[in-house]
Amino acid sequence: MNDSTSPIVPETKTGPLEEASRHRVPWRLALVLAFASLAGGILLTGVSVWFLGAVALAGLTPAALTFNFHVPAAFIRLFALTRTAAKYGERVVGHRAALTDQVLRRSTLFAAMAAAPSVRKAGWQLGNQDRLADYLDDVEDVDYARLRVSLPVATLGMAILLLIAATLWVAPLAMAPILLLIAVNMFGVRVLASRTDADLAAMRQSRQQASRLLGSAIQAVVPLQGERRWGPLLDEPFGGYANAQTRALVLRHRQALLDTLANCLAPCAMLSILVSAWLSGLRGEALLPPALLAFAWLAVAESVLGASKIVVAFVREKTARSALAKWNTLDSVTRQHVAERISSLTLDRLPRRAPDGRLIGRPISATLKAGRPTVLHGASGCGKTSLLKQVAGWLDGGDDFVLGDGIELNVDVRRSMSCFCAHDATVLADTVRENLFAPHAGDAELWRALDAVELQGRIRAAGGLDGWITQDVLSLGEAQRLNLARAWLSDRPVMLLDEPTEHLAAEQGQRILDALLLRLRQRIVILSSHDELAPSGATAVRLQ
Amino acid sequence: MLKATLIRRDERPMAVANSEALTAGRTLCVAHGLAAPGLRSALALQAARAVLRLAMIGLAAIFVGEMISGRANWPMLGAALASVILGSLIGLVADRAIANTELKVANGLLEAVRGALAAASPGDIQAMPPGTLIAGLQRYPQAVAGLAVGHRLASIMLGLGPLLAAAAIMAISWEAALALILLTPVMIVFFVLIGGAIRSGAEAQEKAFGRLAAQFADRIRTLPTILGNHALMRERRKLAARLDTYASGTMSVLRIAFLNTGIIDFFSSLSIAILAVFLGLGHLKLTSVPGFAGLELWQSLFILMIAPEYFVPFRRYAEQYHAKAEGIAAATALDTLVLARRQQSPAFEAAKAARDLADATSPLPRTGLVAITGPSGSGKSTLLRHLAGIGPAPSIDPEVDAPPDVAWCSTDIYVPEGTLDAAIAWQNGPCCRTRLLLAAGNVGLLDDMLLPGGLDASIKAGGENLSGGQRLRIGLARALISGRAIFADEPTAKLDPANAAMVRQALVEAARTRLVLVATHDRSLALLAGRTIDLEMGNRQTRERAG
Repeated sequence: MNDSTSPIVPETKTGPLEEASRHRVPWRLALVLAFASLAGGILLTGVSVWFLGAVALAGLTPAALTFNFHVPAAFIRLFALTRTAAKYGERVVGHRAALTDQVLRRSTLFAAMAAAPSVRKAGWQLGNQDRLADYLDDVEDVDYARLRVSLPVATLGMAILLLIAATLWVAPLAMAPILLLIAVNMFGVRVLASRTDADLAAMRQSRQQASRLLGSAIQAVVPLQGERRWGPLLDEPFGGYANAQTRALVLRHRQALLDTLANCLAPCAMLSILVSAWLSGLRGEALLPPALLAFAWLAVAESVLGASKIVVAFVREKTARSALAKWNTLDSVTRQHVAERISSLTLDRLPRRAPDGRLIGRPISATLKAGRPTVLHGASGCGKTSLLKQVAGWLDGGDDFVLGDGIELNVDVRRSMSCFCAHDATVLADTVRENLFAPHAGDAELWRALDAVELQGRIRAAGGLDGWITQDVLSLGEAQRLNLARAWLSDRPVMLLDEPTEHLAAEQGQRILDALLLRLRQRIVILSSHDELAPSGATAVRLQ
Repeated sequence: MLKATLIRRDERPMAVANSEALTAGRTLCVAHGLAAPGLRSALALQAARAVLRLAMIGLAAIFVGEMISGRANWPMLGAALASVILGSLIGLVADRAIANTELKVANGLLEAVRGALAAASPGDIQAMPPGTLIAGLQRYPQAVAGLAVGHRLASIMLGLGPLLAAAAIMAISWEAALALILLTPVMIVFFVLIGGAIRSGAEAQEKAFGRLAAQFADRIRTLPTILGNHALMRERRKLAARLDTYASGTMSVLRIAFLNTGIIDFFSSLSIAILAVFLGLGHLKLTSVPGFAGLELWQSLFILMIAPEYFVPFRRYAEQYHAKAEGIAAATALDTLVLARRQQSPAFEAAKAARDLADATSPLPRTGLVAITGPSGSGKSTLLRHLAGIGPAPSIDPEVDAPPDVAWCSTDIYVPEGTLDAAIAWQNGPCCRTRLLLAAGNVGLLDDMLLPGGLDASIKAGGENLSGGQRLRIGLARALISGRAIFADEPTAKLDPANAAMVRQALVEAARTRLVLVATHDRSLALLAGRTIDLEMGNRQTRERAG
């Protein structure tokens, strides 16, 4: 034994392995418990039947007086307790394991999604409630796949294999009908699995289609009602929902069919064992083992009935995994050392691109100086937000065209240098303090920021810095002002403000913007505005 | 059970569920009404299936008993096999009947929601959170249907199933049946105790960690904001910690909740164990408890095998727990979202004022440009809506003053997914490409740099690649083709000067042959109007002016 090296080796070599096995241990325990519970149930029924048969036969003879019933009775009690306790243990351990996995998987998934390019492009699709709900369905289907699919399949499979082995031993003749039934059931499983895929996809597709239609109809409710077309226009989306429900019905009908097959399996197996035992000439005492086995088959009937649910859960998991796989992008974020302040930002014939990669207008050239904010004007849709995102490194293009103090800034540097203050910024369900994204700022500074955006009173009423806020609690204007407070607290050298006064009354917007620009006077500031906002000392750029 | 306890993605409906559970219930009433006809036959089928299952188990037990005693009763075996097959078939029919009834309920609920939406005023519809409404319509009707049909059946069977099992046992030994029935109150006491513990545990969890319920969903939703503020690392760590905290809290609730089914398992296992020993002692003639001694083997096997069936309906009901929780939450959410009667919005008052004004302005001319002007907030849009006959205000006698057939033109018009020509031709019947080209050209849509492709320019779902100005011009082109009266809400507000001039020109042209009513604060447009309705405060009057 070499004591000096042993502590190092396991640490360096088995780090991730240990991690993986640590997550597998509860699952193994759950599997053992699940099997113990099923075995307990099978033996409880089987041994009880055997016991009753044995004592009944013994009761007819003088052996009744010497029959030792204590041992089988004790076993029966043991099986009863094992079945109950192991079932409870299986549930608790299984759910504990599933939840542990869930926590790990969800935080990994969160990071993976943050690295996906589409988060930074136009219109975050999971900002929509219905898309988000679909996405969560997927995540949940994967989260509980082990609990709903792997665990019951493993347990049931093992139990059926053991029962088949026992049947081969005790009543081999019965295997013919049993195998036939199992083959029919497997065929049913295959058919259900192959059809479920299409059903689920069609269901989701018609629901999403309907939701898109309904969403655009709701947006246009005033014009539609004015034109008397609101009612008729609802036909299509609601038809789509009804369609999806009909597809769900078809799926349930198929499930019912498999359930019918599965329902026949165990009782038929039981009856065939009894028949084959009798036909092979067993009588009296010798019939007890087949009777035990027959009722053991009956005891798994309950678990076999779950087959159709397991199949559907399996298909859902498969679909969900492939839907989630598209978020699995490699995290390419590299930590960059960036300047704390730069004094000028140069756009050198930067080709302007829309989020879909299309070129907009002519390339733009400008030199932006710290302390002299730049306002982008132009009709809505002319690419103001896209230009801000290009500077922020959120959209492709621009690597060779953006210079900071004369040095080319690549995407990663631009991302870490800039604070992009989106016009549709959201409120996190969290405390005010966390929502301000300034973990290093003291209370006094946070309050100063809230004061600057005229939110002080509102936040005090909502419970101060540690009050809990959500998107619904704040009005659009309040959310916008909270967003400006985040900008006020940001320490990045390049500040990009998209429509900073949207949802604010004109005078209030002007006041807050002036205070914010005063605070940011050392930085490069670019803001966009579709109305003719003109802060003092700002350079205006009109986009075509 | 897990799903309901863990994933409260609809925080709001759940929170609302607590406060308004008693006042609402319209959705549930509708659902129960829809379920009633199908429920009866489904119940009959379920009962038949339960009887056949008892028959199968009982007949098999009798066959085995007699077989071990030395007599193979083949008709008995045939009967058992027949009840297996018949029971499975009836099960199939029952499952299908339940699924059909649930579909009927879900579709009926959708129909009710559609009716409510069709009748609602724009203000009410805009007040509904659209994302929640849409996500809810995809899921709530099924959840409510599950409660009104599946759960309801399980709760009826909870009363019926044990009685059937007890009756079967009573045929052999009434003492054994009585023992089972006497066991039930003990079980129910346990249920009540555990139910209370679950409730208080869930409440404590809600109080301590309720806010953390939907953190994952919330962080996914707000991802761009988190990235914009460079908070990813911090949020990720926080999310992991919070998910962990919430999971631990959930586990402590689940540990108690699982006791519920644990109790049923325990009693059902215990009944087998106790009965086996008692009946065994009877066979050995070591005891002489009446009802348990002096039985044939087939009799005691019958009792032993039927006894666990007594507890099956309890388990089925307990398994429906999450269906119940989800259904109730969904019903309450639907109530608050759509079906509940809404209070009259503040807009109502404004609309009433607008109505008085509308009386003063009517009748509107058949042709010409009429402008509604006034500072923002003075009710221009409200008046425009009212004149088109939309809104919550008690309508003017429809026979006398039928709202005109209008084409609406504003930045929020409906634009179907597809191409520009289809968007312009939408609901305009068949029209030739020349007319479409002409109309699109009139409003400057053909040479719009930001919408390249002319008439074939592609339009995404919901028109999300269109700016407000582009939408408005599509609406105007559509209105020009339609030949109807044009009602335009701020038609020049979001346009650059060149496009605004083009739109003004098109409106004036159109006003030669029909009524064009605009709500605007654009002075140049108001100056072109033949008649102006000025809503300026303190000056609420209409002025006639020479055109």
